[in-house]
Amino acid sequence: MHDVLLKITDLHVSYGKKAILRGASFDVRNGECLTLLGANGSGKSTSMNAICGFVKPVSGSISLNGTELAGKGPHTIFKQGVAQVSQARDLFPDLSVEDNLRLGAMQRGKGKAAQVLADIYDRFPRLAERRRQATRTLSGGEQQMVAIGRALMSSPLILLLDEPSGGLSPQFCEEIATIMDQLKSEGVTMLMVEQNLNLAFRAADRFIVLRDGQVVDGGDVAAMAGDHDAIVRNIYL
Amino acid sequence: MFLQLTLSGVSQGAIYALIALSLTVVYRSTTIVSFGHGDFVMAGAFLTYVLVVAIGIAFLPASLIAIVAMFLLGVAFSRGLIGPIRGGPHVGLALMSISFGFTLRGIARTVWGREVLPMPRVFDIDPIFIGSVVITGDALFIISIVAVLLVVFFTVLHFTDIGKMVQAVYQSERGARLIGIDVERFHNFSWGLGAALGAVAGVLIAPISLLHPDLGASFLIKGFAAMTLGGFGSLAGAVLGGLLLGVAEQYSGAYIDTTLIDITAYLLIIAVLLIRPRGLFGRKVVVKV
Ligand SMILES: Nc1ncnc2c1ncn2[C@@H]1O[C@H](COP(=O)(O)OP(=O)(O)OP(=O)(O)O)[C@@H](O)[C@H]1O
Ligand SMILES: [Mg+2]
Repeated sequence: MHDVLLKITDLHVSYGKKAILRGASFDVRNGECLTLLGANGSGKSTSMNAICGFVKPVSGSISLNGTELAGKGPHTIFKQGVAQVSQARDLFPDLSVEDNLRLGAMQRGKGKAAQVLADIYDRFPRLAERRRQATRTLSGGEQQMVAIGRALMSSPLILLLDEPSGGLSPQFCEEIATIMDQLKSEGVTMLMVEQNLNLAFRAADRFIVLRDGQVVDGGDVAAMAGDHDAIVRNIYL
Repeated sequence: MFLQLTLSGVSQGAIYALIALSLTVVYRSTTIVSFGHGDFVMAGAFLTYVLVVAIGIAFLPASLIAIVAMFLLGVAFSRGLIGPIRGGPHVGLALMSISFGFTLRGIARTVWGREVLPMPRVFDIDPIFIGSVVITGDALFIISIVAVLLVVFFTVLHFTDIGKMVQAVYQSERGARLIGIDVERFHNFSWGLGAALGAVAGVLIAPISLLHPDLGASFLIKGFAAMTLGGFGSLAGAVLGGLLLGVAEQYSGAYIDTTLIDITAYLLIIAVLLIRPRGLFGRKVVVKV
């Protein structure tokens, strides 16, 4: 028996009349990294945004440690301990790196903020060097580090990562993977969307596949080791 | 002469600066151009008048009550009338703001008709003479109140955590949601702050001018001219634009023709749009209406 942290049950999400999620169900267990796979436009970001309250589900349940999140506002869900690193990053471009990070702890985790900030600078020495720089002057990879750092500042119970390697060089992907390994060894629960299968399978314990608005497949990464081709066929064909 | 004009200009400009700043606060937070804003100024002035003349409260407590009341009215407007249509087409938001402004104007008119109301003099501070320049008590009062407000406003914005959060929402609303800020509440607060700052301007002009229900209209245009000159959407630009407009009116009135005072704001808008559309501190010139 694993204890489940986040339980999604029969989730329906639409934009106007267009149904994107049609009864998706899955669990995220405490301390694991679950990777959400699926073709472009299959509703991966939509799932993340529904969990965070950016889009209101039509029906279904999103429960965090037994607390219902569906229908609540984004700020309420954030305070419950759900933080997202979004696909577009959504940083504050004219504020300094340090301000971007510190702001991450304003609404949650303020007590531990100084300690977490020091940890983040340990983890990302490049950010420590650039702490006074406006965030818009950073490279894409560095900005992704700020986005991850900002989300960690709130000491979330679960971290949602929407394509953390998106648009980054292999070298940066490697850095991101290293960070995720560290986070996992510290017991941070993660739900990740990732198109880069090497990264997806390196960091993840389990994966699920989203298709036609439902979760159609899933499994243990360890059990599938070496058989990426089968998974790729499953997702994209 | 020149110094005297500059002083009058700064004193008048301080009011424009306040109005332009209050418009910008609303615009930056909500991307709505608050076309009814002049009527917040009017309502602030009228409320103060009622409290002072009809109820007999002293000017300072009366103006504080009026400012707080306008803050609450701004919040209520945002929650009750803007909230339900937020996310809809921009023209609807602008029309809502205009309609609400005219409603306030109508209320003032039904109560006071078209009468022009003189406010009893409030400050009998003796004018100060510095060489040939006379500083009236009113000018001193206006300039110092606005100066204190501006220092507090920009200090909070740039040097406190609250100010950093405000900047964060300005720069990325989605980002603000990602760090747990309640953006809807922030919008409501911004409307309240905008209405309150507008009311401060109304309170400051109440003792020195004749009050009538339509007085907001001209102040709205002055606010727009100041914003355009400073760069639409720039907070510091709104303040500087207001001061420059005030001074420009005095100079053009004295050195060219007194009739120019009333149309300086319009001429300035036209000139800035043609010559330098982004204004002095311009960000993007995209204004969604
Ligand atoms: N705000 C929105 N309004 C209307 N439709 C939307 C909106 N956001 C997303 N969609 C549509 O919903 C579908 C799913 O989008 P989503 O962003 O969740 O896909 P995704 O799986 O994350 O894709 P990608 O791999 O390209 O990031 C797409 O068809 C998209 O066009
Ligand atoms: Mg996506």
